[in-house]
Amino acid sequence: MSQIKSYGIALPHFRVEDCTLHPKGKKGVMKAVCFSDEDLITLAFAASEKISKENIDGIFFASSSSVFENRYHASFLADLLNLPQGILALDFINSSRGGTDALLLANDLIDSGKYKNILVIASDVDFPGIGNELSTPYGHAACSLLISNEKGIAEISFAKSFSSSFAEEFSYKGASIQYDPRFSRDAGFKTNLTSSLKKLVSDPKSFDAIILNSVYARMGGGIFAKAGFEEKQFARDLISSKIGNTGATHALLLLINEIESEKKHILLVDYANGTNILEIKNNSVGKEKNLQEQLGNFDLVNSYQDYLLLRKAGNFHSAKYDTKEMFSSEMMQEREKETLLYRKGLKCTTCGTIYYLKTGRCKKCKGDKFSTVQLANAGSVYAFTKEHYFPSSFPPITMAIIDLDGGVRMTVQQTDTMYPEKNTLEIGSKVKLVLRKMIENDEKPNYFWKATTK
Amino acid sequence: MNSKLTDIAIIGIGVTKFGELFHQSYDDLVRDAAMQAVSDAKISMDDIGAAWLSTAFPEIGVFKGRSGMDLCEPLSLYNIPVTRVSNYCASGADAMRNAINALRAGECDVAMALGVEKLRDRQPQDSIVKMMVEYGHPFLQKGFTAAGTFAVYANRMMKEYGVTREDISNVSVKNHLHGSLNEKAFYQKACSLEEVMKSQMVADPLTVLDSCPTTDGAACVIMVRAEDVDKTKHNPVFVKGLGLSISTGWDLPFFDPNHDFLSFEATRNAAKKAYAQAGITNPIDEIDLIEVHDCFSIVELLTYEDLGLCKVGEAKDLIRGKETQLGGKIPVNVSGGLLSCGHPVGATGIRMVVEVANHLRGSAGERQVKNAKRGLTHNIGGPGAIASVIILEK
Repeated sequence: MSQIKSYGIALPHFRVEDCTLHPKGKKGVMKAVCFSDEDLITLAFAASEKISKENIDGIFFASSSSVFENRYHASFLADLLNLPQGILALDFINSSRGGTDALLLANDLIDSGKYKNILVIASDVDFPGIGNELSTPYGHAACSLLISNEKGIAEISFAKSFSSSFAEEFSYKGASIQYDPRFSRDAGFKTNLTSSLKKLVSDPKSFDAIILNSVYARMGGGIFAKAGFEEKQFARDLISSKIGNTGATHALLLLINEIESEKKHILLVDYANGTNILEIKNNSVGKEKNLQEQLGNFDLVNSYQDYLLLRKAGNFHSAKYDTKEMFSSEMMQEREKETLLYRKGLKCTTCGTIYYLKTGRCKKCKGDKFSTVQLANAGSVYAFTKEHYFPSSFPPITMAIIDLDGGVRMTVQQTDTMYPEKNTLEIGSKVKLVLRKMIENDEKPNYFWKATTK
Repeated sequence: MNSKLTDIAIIGIGVTKFGELFHQSYDDLVRDAAMQAVSDAKISMDDIGAAWLSTAFPEIGVFKGRSGMDLCEPLSLYNIPVTRVSNYCASGADAMRNAINALRAGECDVAMALGVEKLRDRQPQDSIVKMMVEYGHPFLQKGFTAAGTFAVYANRMMKEYGVTREDISNVSVKNHLHGSLNEKAFYQKACSLEEVMKSQMVADPLTVLDSCPTTDGAACVIMVRAEDVDKTKHNPVFVKGLGLSISTGWDLPFFDPNHDFLSFEATRNAAKKAYAQAGITNPIDEIDLIEVHDCFSIVELLTYEDLGLCKVGEAKDLIRGKETQLGGKIPVNVSGGLLSCGHPVGATGIRMVVEVANHLRGSAGERQVKNAKRGLTHNIGGPGAIASVIILEK
């Protein structure tokens, strides 16, 4: 049976309260929203960064967003994560069930013995139309699971999908989705869920956590009761009110939440045009609580205007300078990715100076022999300045000259600073590097390191 | 090596007004500065045997100055070699260096070095800021403007040497005071410490008044070998030392773990060379006035130390004691510096030489440094990467 070997979570640092989005919105009910330089790629990267990349032979990328608008796809992500070329890279798109779809297939491929380690990443970043924020459940998050044939934190003991004879009927009207809930809910959800539980779940009383992820989740109780489950077994969705509904990522977040709560035997039911049912046996005790930590670490967006700036629908430019374009070259980034992306530095074998930038001769000792070293992703600030004239949604941009742990110098922008008065960066501050978009107002995003104190 | 160098004399100087010269084109500026210099040298334009044109940024100006031919056309100066020199803010000084070397090598007998920049046909943000925002590497240093690349030095100076915001801004106060006496400066108005510190922040801790404005302007010198000076018609000033040094590239300072952001290695090397040529061992006592590249006020403070005017960490004492003000021990930037004059990048280095030459000739008017016998000009270009130091004597 395949295992969840390890996992990673990435929530944006900022949350917007419903009462900020609309006067009728509730205080305390929040959505996780990307900073202006984040997108589903940066979140997916952040969620996967800490996972061991050894012997990965597949990467699955799930999102309910349309992934082909930009370079949003599994292969691109594999390259960002420095996974070997030629591995299996599949996309699971345009479905809120994508996360468990990917998990299901990964499980089967591992079980078949053809693959050993598959990285399943779900990442969702979707903004509803302006004015529809309150009526549309949304939130931004990414979750990464390493599915493996080696022992991990939890075992996937059963995984099946049960197709629906009644696909949800909906149509797009402008930016919003129109559908008739009667058909979808009654002929779709209720029928399909009832049949799938009956067919696929044999011992309902054995579970200590049942997760139901569906827009109709509130109507699921009766169906579960009829199938022999009890109300106390239900794991309520306590995440939605903290970060919103995170689309394809959501089912995986609910699962991680139960794993971190150390529930032993978990049933994950994910409905959208058919039901995915997974049974998970959790072995993790006293492990780090990645999701809980990130749920508790956030800053609020102060106003709807700031929210618009953050999603760049507002007046996006610096007060001082309105940029039209910036030079960028994909070939240059491809050629220099060992340095730019993977942070492979050069260490002078004579004097030990480590250079981030490629060099053939040491500036200090003129030595010409170097060894390649992997540079750290954290360090402390050596010097900084706040640039008031560089275009940004939230000026000033802070430029930080950083001494990375292990002794190498890098200069990058600081990110996750929406409000200058809350920015506590100073000489000596500890920072870590995160991958973010560099060109905020370009349709073709490119990614580089920035520093954050969060 | 010093003894081998032929002495070079500046026999003609010319400088335009610096500022938003809407009534003058790039070509007009070339003509204005060149005609002044030719008439000052009492020669004919056709006596010039070779010329060097310094324009640093054609792409953010009016697309003129990409080659030496942009000097030829406005002056009808054809059939001689003309080379465009580009070395960031040290371009002007480098044009002079090339002219001097050609005289020494015997390529020509009369050489012209002319610097010109036309940046104000565009909005201010469209010039240097545009270059930093839209051009260059998409990632490395992206987020810096020119001010920021020097503000980080201020950040370290304040931390390491106890330099205060007031010390930094007092450089600007001093230079604006000097600028009020310079009829060719862009800003001819003194300002108070409070005005500098409370003006719009550009890159912490540097404000707008801590930063020089980019302007239009041109400056020109005509040089001959010292032996060719005609004492009956020329009022020569001699080039006694010249050093130009590059210590780093565009990106390296911000990615070099050994860089301390407390000094410019290039300035130190250029000064060492120029001092050796001129036989200077104790600059503060042996030099009468200095034009320093105060593109941002902090750079002038750093340069006091790099030129050896004081010990490391003591630059603040020179400004606190008003030693570098007109009437002080060693007046620095009596022209008003880049902060008052403005900075037409390719012209600045030569403008400084013209300024010092006027003091050595005793023709600097209201701001004349008394009994000036020896002066120094200094430029720093790029991210503190390229420096030039020129020593001039009566």
